[in-house]
Amino acid sequence: MAEFTLPQNSKITEGKTHKAPEGTKRVTKFRIYRWDPDSGANPRLDTFEIDRDQCAPMVLDALIKIKTEIDSTLTFRRSCREGICGSCSMNIDGTNTLACLKPIDEVKGTVDIYPLPHMPVIKDLVPDLSVPYAQYTSIQPWLQTESPPPPDSERRQSPEERAKLDGLWECVLCFCCSTSCPSYWWNGDRYLGPAILLQAYRWIADSRDEATGERLDALEDPFRLYRCHTIMNCTRTCPKSLNPAKAIAEIKKLMVARR
Amino acid sequence: MSGLERHQTDLLILGSGGAGLLAALHAHDKDPSLEITIAVKGLLGKSGCTRMVQGGYNVALAPGDSLQRHFMDTIEGGKWLNHQELAWRLVEGAVERIVELENRWGCFFDRNPDGRLHFKAFAGQTVDRTVHKGDLTGIEIINRLAEQVWARGIKRMEEHRAIALIPSRDGQRLSGVLMLDIRTGEFRFVAAKAVLLATGGGPTMYLYHTPSGDKSCDGLAMALRAGLKLRDMEMVQFHPTGLIAGKDTRITGTIIEEGLRGAGGHILDGSGERFMHKYDPRNERATRDIVSRGMYDQMKAGRTGPNGGVFITMKHLDPAMVRKQFKGMVTRCADVGFDLVSGNVEVVPTAHYMMGGVEYALDCRTSLPGLFAAGEDTGGVHGANRLGGNGVANSTVYGGIAGEAMAAFAKSDGGIVAPDEAAIEAAVADTMRPFSRKSGDLNALRERLYKLMWDDVGIIRSEESLKRGEKALDDLAAELAETGLPQTTRAFNLTWADWLSLDSLILTSRAIAAAALRRDDSRGAHYRSDFPETGSLEKSENTVVTLEGNRIAVTTTPVAFTRVRPGQTLA
Ligand SMILES: Cc1cc2nc3c(=O)[nH]c(=O)nc-3n(C[C@H](O)[C@H](O)[C@H](O)COP(=O)(O)OP(=O)(O)OC[C@H]3O[C@@H](n4cnc5c(N)ncnc54)[C@H](O)[C@@H]3O)c2cc1C
Ligand code: SF4
Ligand code: SF4
Ligand code: FES
Repeated sequence: MAEFTLPQNSKITEGKTHKAPEGTKRVTKFRIYRWDPDSGANPRLDTFEIDRDQCAPMVLDALIKIKTEIDSTLTFRRSCREGICGSCSMNIDGTNTLACLKPIDEVKGTVDIYPLPHMPVIKDLVPDLSVPYAQYTSIQPWLQTESPPPPDSERRQSPEERAKLDGLWECVLCFCCSTSCPSYWWNGDRYLGPAILLQAYRWIADSRDEATGERLDALEDPFRLYRCHTIMNCTRTCPKSLNPAKAIAEIKKLMVARR
Repeated sequence: MSGLERHQTDLLILGSGGAGLLAALHAHDKDPSLEITIAVKGLLGKSGCTRMVQGGYNVALAPGDSLQRHFMDTIEGGKWLNHQELAWRLVEGAVERIVELENRWGCFFDRNPDGRLHFKAFAGQTVDRTVHKGDLTGIEIINRLAEQVWARGIKRMEEHRAIALIPSRDGQRLSGVLMLDIRTGEFRFVAAKAVLLATGGGPTMYLYHTPSGDKSCDGLAMALRAGLKLRDMEMVQFHPTGLIAGKDTRITGTIIEEGLRGAGGHILDGSGERFMHKYDPRNERATRDIVSRGMYDQMKAGRTGPNGGVFITMKHLDPAMVRKQFKGMVTRCADVGFDLVSGNVEVVPTAHYMMGGVEYALDCRTSLPGLFAAGEDTGGVHGANRLGGNGVANSTVYGGIAGEAMAAFAKSDGGIVAPDEAAIEAAVADTMRPFSRKSGDLNALRERLYKLMWDDVGIIRSEESLKRGEKALDDLAAELAETGLPQTTRAFNLTWADWLSLDSLILTSRAIAAAALRRDDSRGAHYRSDFPETGSLEKSENTVVTLEGNRIAVTTTPVAFTRVRPGQTLA
């Protein structure tokens, strides 16, 4: 694993508090995990008080506001700001989600923000996702066919076959699900985790793909697939309302069916 | 320079949008022995605007459609300023590319009951020709392409920012690119046989804008500094209906799809009155530029909602129809706290796309040997206005073409050549500059840029406003040069990133203002209140901007009507 992995037990200290100006009416506190690889210091929790009358509705809006107005060293990922790129995944109020889709009002009291759990941290809220990405590559997530396509035209697919992919292709690979899965926390080196298994099923379910057998073979392994114990954290946490647990169950069903 | 990490690769691709990823795949297809590296500011597949494409992809495949019709719609939409050969190659290439995206790369677009592709209607088109996947077409395209890139062992430099195009020692060609590793804050020089500029332009210098936060016109600024010509820079497209929710939400990207106006949606001023009939007999169904101008006019007159915008509403229409036909839009509005089915949603015209960009040839070569360009960084295909659905077609068609041309170039004339060390040193010094200046308020500078571009170089322009804008931009550039950073850590320093982005945005803004001042007519996206007429189509000219020392120079060249002249048609 990369060098910047924090020791599991590294102690988080209390950091700075940035108070809202006197007389601010609607204040929300944000308590945010901070860690700078260059400083050598332990991670800390900084508190920022935000005037909600001057802040847009989403947690990402608050982070951007903090960065532009209070502490420009605050570091996080974002690109699209609309739940499409999956860059801004983090742990907010105990749940993994996309900061750009999480209304501040959904959190009661102080908004606690940490990086995605059990991933090495690069800085502040930025996780190192090399391991899940490598696992993603390992399932060969691309169309595999032997028969040639019709000349100059697309492969046919009926609306029913097409519908089977709904709930799968919308995944934005934010890894909120995998990093909320206890099995993945403890066996992340060998268990693929819900995000990757949902992607695996996306290809298994695609009527145009001709490598279904090989795909299932590759998952027939005590760790890669069968570490899922149907704890359902993944489905509960998915910010796009997808159901990775169901996709995993579908793969397991296919495994049984072909025995 | 010492302390500078040096790398070599055969092909270096800057950007991982549709253009960058297709270039990598086509280059690999053409010559699998090439070492290909994709460098991207964000994460591969998670950055840029191709991922955010909603509406879809224009391709002349539907029954009754033809290349000629798609071409003529593109030229008419572009108000005759398009580079006609590039536009033709686009419509031709789109047909190849869409089939390739499906069959070779595994993308999957919506189907008709017979299993064939479904085409939907989009503004400005005489035939339904937009292929789509629901209203989230971009996710599908980018996910599939990114996976194909992973499948091929193409190298990735993620969270690496391209800083400068570095010429060879004799200045005759490109040697490579100076990069900044965002995670560590260290510089890397990457020498390559051929480089693709595919950083996706993106008019993020306006108060309201749609492109992703990682786009800041770096490619255009680098091109200007490397001596390249940019054409049609005055042409900035404003999308009429971008969501706005409050002072601090300039929600990038969240735009309300064109189709809502098409389906009968109304636009209302702050007091709930319709107003588009004052501007165009087609009311809300007028083209993007006209609706944007009408809205802007109302906003200027102060007839706004609580957040300074106007409203779009669907509540007079059948709620079941709205929910069914615009499922993605309804959910997305709900995600950000709006009720599209029965409420008024506050919207503003939003800077969306730059039609202008680097001049390039049909095979994506630029005037700098070794440098190729594709996608939104380039100018010519769209002329004065881009049709919805031609943007992603442009990036994917020309990305693929560039990949093949680069592979061929690497084989025939491309070798690794030594860089101009002085140019590297100068670029490093420019980039490090803010560390040696007193910390200042970058946020205030950015706000000023947003506001001045919006007010003076925006939807409605005049000589007076543009001159004011140019002056303000010069002042901003001078102030930025003396503004430093609050932290000295180089690793993942987002304020440093902001500084660099502002630097690119200000330079590109100067190019926009200069070109806009030069064009004394109103065409497509460019509207001058002091020259409201279209001008003679026959005598159409393109503006061309270059950087001479620190001065922006503008010239014009006549449009070459190589396939069709104004008044004629091919369709
Ligand atoms: C919200 C939205 C909706 C849209 N909908 C449609 C639509 O329906 N139909 C349509 O045809 N078009 C649409 N467009 C336009 C379309 O997305 C773009 O025209 C097109 O995808 C651009 O592709 P590209 O490859 O040139 O750039 P992008 O996809 O934007 O990619 C640019 C890449 O360059 C990288 N980059 C930027 N700067 C640097 C740097 N300094 N160093 C390294 N990398 C860098 C970025 O991180 C990114 O990876 C839409 C755009 C937006 C914003
Ligand atoms: S259902 Fe399976 S994958 Fe999902 S959280 Fe539980 S164990 Fe993990
Ligand atoms: S399934 Fe949901 S939570 Fe998991 S990666 Fe995909 S979008 Fe994210
Ligand atoms: S910023 Fe793209 S998902 Fe949140």
